[in-house]
Amino acid sequence: MVTLTIDGREITVAEGTNLVEAAAAAGVEVPTYCYHPGLTVVGQCRICFVEVEGMPRLVTACSTPVQPEMVVLTASKRVREARAAVMEFLLENHPLDCPVCDQAGECGLQDYSVEHGLDSTHMVDERRTNPGRERHLIGPHVVQNQNRCIHCTRCIRFTTEISETADLTMKSRGNHSYIDTFDGRPFDNPWSACAADVCPVGALTVNEFRFRARVWHLEETRTICPGCSIGCNVSLGHLNGVVHRFVPRENAEVNGWWMCDYGRFLAEPLNDRTIDVPLERFGDGERRISWDSALAEVARWLREAPKPLVIASANMSNEALFAVRRNLVEGARMDVIVPVSEGETRRIKNGRGAWFSSNDAHPNSTGARHLGLAVADAANLESYLRDGTGPVLVLDAHAHPWLASEGAAAISADRQVAVLARYRTPLVDAASMVMPLASWAETDGTYTSSTGRVQLAHKALQPVGQARRAWEVVFHLALELGIEQERAVTPRILFAEMAAEVGAFSGMTWGRLMAEPGMPVHEEVVGVG
Amino acid sequence: MSDPILLRARGLKNSRSLSTYCRLGGYSALEKALSMTPAEVIEEVKASGIRGRGGAGFPAGVKWGFVPRDTAKPKYMICNADESEPGTFKDRELIVVDPHMVLEGIALASYAIGANTAYIYIRGEFVDEAQILGKAIAEARRKKYLGEDMLGSGYDLDVHIHRGAGAYICGEETALIESIEGKRGLPRLKPPFPAVVGLFGCPTVVNNVETLACVPHILERGGAWFAGIGTERSTGPKLFCVSGHVERPGVYEAPMGITFRKIIEDLCGGMRGGRKLKAFIPGGSSAPVLPADLIDTAADFESVAQAGSMLGSGGLIVMDETVDMVWALENLLAFYAHESCGQCTPCREGSDWAVDIVRRIHRGQGRQGDIETLHRIARFASQGMTICPLGDAFCGPISSFLEHFGHEFEEAISKASSMTAKALPILPVQSDRELFGL
Repeated sequence: MVTLTIDGREITVAEGTNLVEAAAAAGVEVPTYCYHPGLTVVGQCRICFVEVEGMPRLVTACSTPVQPEMVVLTASKRVREARAAVMEFLLENHPLDCPVCDQAGECGLQDYSVEHGLDSTHMVDERRTNPGRERHLIGPHVVQNQNRCIHCTRCIRFTTEISETADLTMKSRGNHSYIDTFDGRPFDNPWSACAADVCPVGALTVNEFRFRARVWHLEETRTICPGCSIGCNVSLGHLNGVVHRFVPRENAEVNGWWMCDYGRFLAEPLNDRTIDVPLERFGDGERRISWDSALAEVARWLREAPKPLVIASANMSNEALFAVRRNLVEGARMDVIVPVSEGETRRIKNGRGAWFSSNDAHPNSTGARHLGLAVADAANLESYLRDGTGPVLVLDAHAHPWLASEGAAAISADRQVAVLARYRTPLVDAASMVMPLASWAETDGTYTSSTGRVQLAHKALQPVGQARRAWEVVFHLALELGIEQERAVTPRILFAEMAAEVGAFSGMTWGRLMAEPGMPVHEEVVGVG
Repeated sequence: MSDPILLRARGLKNSRSLSTYCRLGGYSALEKALSMTPAEVIEEVKASGIRGRGGAGFPAGVKWGFVPRDTAKPKYMICNADESEPGTFKDRELIVVDPHMVLEGIALASYAIGANTAYIYIRGEFVDEAQILGKAIAEARRKKYLGEDMLGSGYDLDVHIHRGAGAYICGEETALIESIEGKRGLPRLKPPFPAVVGLFGCPTVVNNVETLACVPHILERGGAWFAGIGTERSTGPKLFCVSGHVERPGVYEAPMGITFRKIIEDLCGGMRGGRKLKAFIPGGSSAPVLPADLIDTAADFESVAQAGSMLGSGGLIVMDETVDMVWALENLLAFYAHESCGQCTPCREGSDWAVDIVRRIHRGQGRQGDIETLHRIARFASQGMTICPLGDAFCGPISSFLEHFGHEFEEAISKASSMTAKALPILPVQSDRELFGL
């Protein structure tokens, strides 16, 4: 450990820490552009100048490691003058098109020019432009506007160091250099939109999010990605009840600062909803019924049948699966399966440079296993439905790709099928009872990643229409079945009950999950998943 | 004038051949050095006080001493022949006249630091020179002056030629190293310095051609002999490349400390056409310009620094009274704006901005406040604001031109004010033209 003084505050940090991080630890923000904690240090934007007593010249904080007894000034007159000059250099050729720039609101140039820049510029000459590279789709997801580029090379370093694909490169030289794809090929790697994340200005933006919302209007909710079992930490940006985007959230142990494009673009489909009230099949058509009638009807089927079939989902939270286990498996002695499917392999590099990969298409199949629920692949799922008799309760119509197929609809031809769904599938169209299911963004819940890390996803939105969350529906059914008593139930309460009852979650509390970046499951059960 | 040392073979027939070089006593220093320890070689070079001839003037022996002795990593010696500073052409002369002198210097330096591989990074435009060096290396290898088991001493040295692709910045040692590694020629952050982490992450020494050409003479005749030439702190002979408005431009050898008046009037035959000297740049185009009245300055590192410039590479650019200093600065700045690598902000943006302003002044569209802006650029793109010295290289000329010839800029601006419209029209950018069908 090294003790030094930054702006009069004494601070002790680990050896090898650079001055940007040390200052942050002391509560002092040093502006940076080219510096990114997940990328190598190049020290080329020159905005992070600080004064170190005893050194004749200003030093770049990003490339200067701490030394014992160092006395650092981050806001001396010299530093402020130099920063203002660097800001002026950076803005000299910048188009200043903030009103039409999608980065506005989360732009390093905006933030620091207010804080550190001059009020005006000495620049009166024509600005540098890059004709043809102003609205340039360089890949499927990334739009380039080279005029706004400040040549920090973060995007290039991202593609060489993190994605290891080296798609982006700097072409030409000096003031006329520009970012381009290597060999002019499309910028298409599985993490390409992260290049837009690391871009501190509006030079690279995500095509799908462009002009959807001003970022300062967005509400950000800390959640995790539902795309696979890795469980990348993300922020969900939403506005007026509409989900607009996922952006990765730092978690050095899981996803570093990154996420894959597949996961990122799962945000918008969360808005898909065609079913917002319970529907009952009525002759050739459907009619709206109340939740109470729907639940009473479904409970009556389940009660009357000797062995009803229940299909849960590996996309459901641990709390919902725990409610299934306690009420339906243990309480009502039903035969519940959790269908899981193999997806394409997703990969992500964490903050320590280690790759995680997963071909498990569900965010919580590990949690389902830890809860002792029976998991089934597509063939098992099909034979389970075909061989079984009696009514079927599908707790999530979107739990498995096979459930979305025509084959699934055929199985429900001559029996009672109740389905919870967000939008229509052949199975929904054939079901006798359809109930609106809340989306991923509409419930709090914990999910267990394939590495055995329990992480908390916060609720971003209220459920649309009459949609209910899976744990809520299971609890209400249990009430109808007489298994549960009327009482207050929330995910937090369910989690506490689960932690007391299920070994994998022992010792965990909801409060700690809110504060910590995920907690590993209890050692004894790591092998179970 | 004393007998030339570095250019002793100039004018001789077949001066480049190994036999000529050996006839003049060549490779005897190598034979002598191979019987000494590397530490003794370094001591001898330190004693000579020789300072780097590439521009920075760092003592070569001290530089060699920085290389860690006890490392398992290979060490590399690089000869910097990327002579790209405008107004400098001494290294080319050395290679063309006496390539073996350079090679012997490389061999000695490699032996001193314990390198078994040496690179000659030669600028891409030097096509003939690269061939000359290639031929010389082959000759020397045949005679066992290079290659495996040199002169039966058990010491091996491979010398490779690496041709640059035409970037000025690759003359900067870390950019040069990046270029040899096959990357874009961008200067590295220092520290670590190349002596510790250089080529391929290994200890590396980069020396200028002229520095290395001095080394055989130091070893042969002793450091004390070398230190006796020139001034106390700038020792040895120096090549001066004189260009511009003199009667006989070219490369001249003279001891350090000779005055610029002597170089211009005695060596070069005076000003062209008997015109009056207006200004001279003493050390390659990045050195600050000096006015005519400083012509009696001595050409050594200290005296030139005291006069407000730097000896640099010894590229003396002479300007007579016909030169428009606004045009001259524009010319220089255009070069630096073109050659800035674009890595760090102040240099990338400042170099281009400065040339825009000076060009506008030169074209009669100068504005009030332009000179202040130029001063501001010069202040904030130099003195450690950038990773490498290219920032200083273009800011030195700006400051010095404004200091000594500011009146020419003011005159141009005051003439312009009456001609220029008060506000320039705002032109639509190209993409908007397409967008609005203009």
